[in-house]
Amino acid sequence: MENRDRAPVVESLTEIVAALSSTWFGASLPPETQARLAAMGRVRREPAGTELMQEGEIAEEFGVVLSGRIALRMLVPERGMVTILTVEPGDVVGWSAIVPPHRSTSTCVAIEPIEALMIDGAELRAALRSDHALAATLYPRVLQAVGRRLSATRLQLLDLFAREEFGRDSLRAW
Amino acid sequence: MTTTDPLAGLPPVPSEARFLARADLQTLIDVLHEDDRRVIGPRVADGTIVLDEIASVADLPAGWGATQEPGRFTLERRTDEKLFEYNVGPMSWKGYTFPATAPLTSVRRTAEGVAYEPATRVIPKLAFLGVRACEIAALFVQDRVLLGGPFVDDDYRERRRSALVIAVQCTTAASTCFCASMGTGPEVRSGHDLVLTELTDGFVIDAGSDAGRAILARLPVSEATTEQIGDVIGAVSAARLSMHDGVVTVGLQDRLMANLDSPRWAQVAERCLTCTNCTSVCPTCFCTSVIQRSKIVGTASGSVRTWDSCFNPGFARVAGGSFRSRPRDRYRQWLTHKFSTWVDQFGTFGCVGCGRCIAWCPVGIDVREELAAIAPPIVPRVPPPSPAPIAATPTEFATARVTSTRTETADSTTLVLTETDPALIRTKPGQFVMLTLPAFPRLPISVSRVRPDGIELTIRAAGPATRALTQIKPGEVVGIRGPLGVGWPIERAMGRDVVIVTGGIGLAPLRPLIDAVLADRSRFGTFRIFYGARTRKDMLYKDELAVWASSPDVDLQLIVDRGDPDWLGRVGVVTQLFDQATWEGSKASAFVCGPERMMQNTVRTLFDRGLHGDRLFVTLERHMECGIGLCGHCQMGRFFVCKDGPVFSLAQLGDTFGREGI
Repeated sequence: MENRDRAPVVESLTEIVAALSSTWFGASLPPETQARLAAMGRVRREPAGTELMQEGEIAEEFGVVLSGRIALRMLVPERGMVTILTVEPGDVVGWSAIVPPHRSTSTCVAIEPIEALMIDGAELRAALRSDHALAATLYPRVLQAVGRRLSATRLQLLDLFAREEFGRDSLRAW
Repeated sequence: MTTTDPLAGLPPVPSEARFLARADLQTLIDVLHEDDRRVIGPRVADGTIVLDEIASVADLPAGWGATQEPGRFTLERRTDEKLFEYNVGPMSWKGYTFPATAPLTSVRRTAEGVAYEPATRVIPKLAFLGVRACEIAALFVQDRVLLGGPFVDDDYRERRRSALVIAVQCTTAASTCFCASMGTGPEVRSGHDLVLTELTDGFVIDAGSDAGRAILARLPVSEATTEQIGDVIGAVSAARLSMHDGVVTVGLQDRLMANLDSPRWAQVAERCLTCTNCTSVCPTCFCTSVIQRSKIVGTASGSVRTWDSCFNPGFARVAGGSFRSRPRDRYRQWLTHKFSTWVDQFGTFGCVGCGRCIAWCPVGIDVREELAAIAPPIVPRVPPPSPAPIAATPTEFATARVTSTRTETADSTTLVLTETDPALIRTKPGQFVMLTLPAFPRLPISVSRVRPDGIELTIRAAGPATRALTQIKPGEVVGIRGPLGVGWPIERAMGRDVVIVTGGIGLAPLRPLIDAVLADRSRFGTFRIFYGARTRKDMLYKDELAVWASSPDVDLQLIVDRGDPDWLGRVGVVTQLFDQATWEGSKASAFVCGPERMMQNTVRTLFDRGLHGDRLFVTLERHMECGIGLCGHCQMGRFFVCKDGPVFSLAQLGDTFGREGI
């Protein structure tokens, strides 16, 4: 997306807040929530090829991607690792960390060098339990991000480009 | 767009056109100086282009251009060194013919009493260099106001008379320009002493008056070549064609007065700051107040005329209060005067379409939008002219030879057809042909490229007939009718950003549009292509995708439904390429082709980006037999997709788009 070419983030708290607020995910969060997330988080940088989470394992961290690309993959016997979706700057990664049962729904692999604001899952869960204002602002945005993926997944499930090109059906003469 | 000028659209053919080399423009300035004229012209200052005294060519904005949008004027460095490749800045010539302040009378206390004397005037001898067609029109409007009524303003008359008008024809148009719709430009037809049109290496110059001819005789000019005159006509016509958002003037005077109670007045007033910028930058606004100035000792005083504005709170004030106390009243006063009561008063509109009030409004209010919302025009839809098809009726077929084929994907093939009728070479992007092989049903196939020697068709094997077509060998002959249907309205995207969203084989009917945009790249803003496919193997035109991806002219983004382990690009659906982006859709025109279900999601996402349905185009695929709207197969509500489409705007389709069972 637009912010992919942004200069590397530096870790002062104000710079993290600035980086977060320039993302799709962070942009509409109130300043208090942005500051809280920035204070809890740290900027993690990983080279391409790093596996950030594994499907089925406990998701230890919730994050917002600041730069780079992450592939969400699932293992299919005899087909190998299939990429279901890629996550781009501005989007979240590891939402399972704040939604029970806290197990990652796919394997996350950086396919480009990445930078992400990562927050420890246990710490964030504790904060969400005690700070209702934080929870009331963060959860809708997380649900929006997850809902967007759900709707995309449904369209992928329809496999629109496979047979019903241009909405024709199999009844036609040709 | 409507105009009252029957000649509008036909650029004036320069009568005794000469050519003035760029290096000799200084001679023109020198000649003007020899005649004791001060030369006023454009100059870069304060981050914009102002009018100021010009000592030499070096003072002119060489290599500067400008982007103008509602609420915005941005200077831009150009790659060439042209001097006039922009339109108008915030200042108009009114500042010299009708200055912001002018002394009227002075009053002195004398031994005998009080003496009233007209103010003494010093009228400078000027030459205006770089007057655009809209600005000449503005001078004419002010002539009508200040010289053509019961009162003749002597100060204005003297200033106007002493100024030489050296016009420049516009060869570019900002998004704020709408002179074509007001019938005032961009061609300079009268009111000038000299007129220049800038080409790369100099100017085509022509005289419009005896004073101009006398100057022209003193310049080192040569006869303009036919080619140079052709370039002038082409460049000015291109500026005309790139203006789209105009004002429909037919019946506007009455339409406005019939809508004095429109709720829009209150809505626009919520944005309007009543700052008076629009009336200050307007080249025709002439409302003034007279203020009194006195010496503190009281021995002398004088009255001074100053520009005033109907947006000022005091403009309509009487002892009991103001007649137009609310911003909505003042905005209505201004707009109805410009476009309605001005006509009653002076026989012309008070607007010449220069667009200054749009660019210099701090909140970006666009008069064109307000007029369209307050007094909507009733415009019959005029279908664009299409090339006459070969084999127009279902009973005829012409032939074409397949000279080569190219495998695009596992099930898609591109056929190159030559030895065709020249009509097919005039196919417009988005049009289709009916294609047939012996013993197979005829099929509508979009043209995927128009070549100098023929056309290309990209076909996907989806059934027996399409499979037979993809298996054709070079040298074989097919039956063909076309080009048919309405194509992509590329002219509606000129001067705007272009967004293409497509999936799978939907790229094929859009490729001629992409070709056309790239061939004329400077006429369009940012060009974005979003292309989705099932897997990377299912992408068409892979070589060309690679070229576009590395081109600075286009922002191409790809996405696949399923990523294999080697695919390092994006995985997901095509709308995810732009649903979280930050670009502004209201400046764009969008063209969408793909499975209908995908287009529905795309259209919704583009609406969320701020794209208007009037500038959002889709192409529809339906069962077709005849291609001329008779056989009934492709009917969709009020439309026959084959002849009214296949390209439609969302505004045309309304809620029939995506509705089940239509």
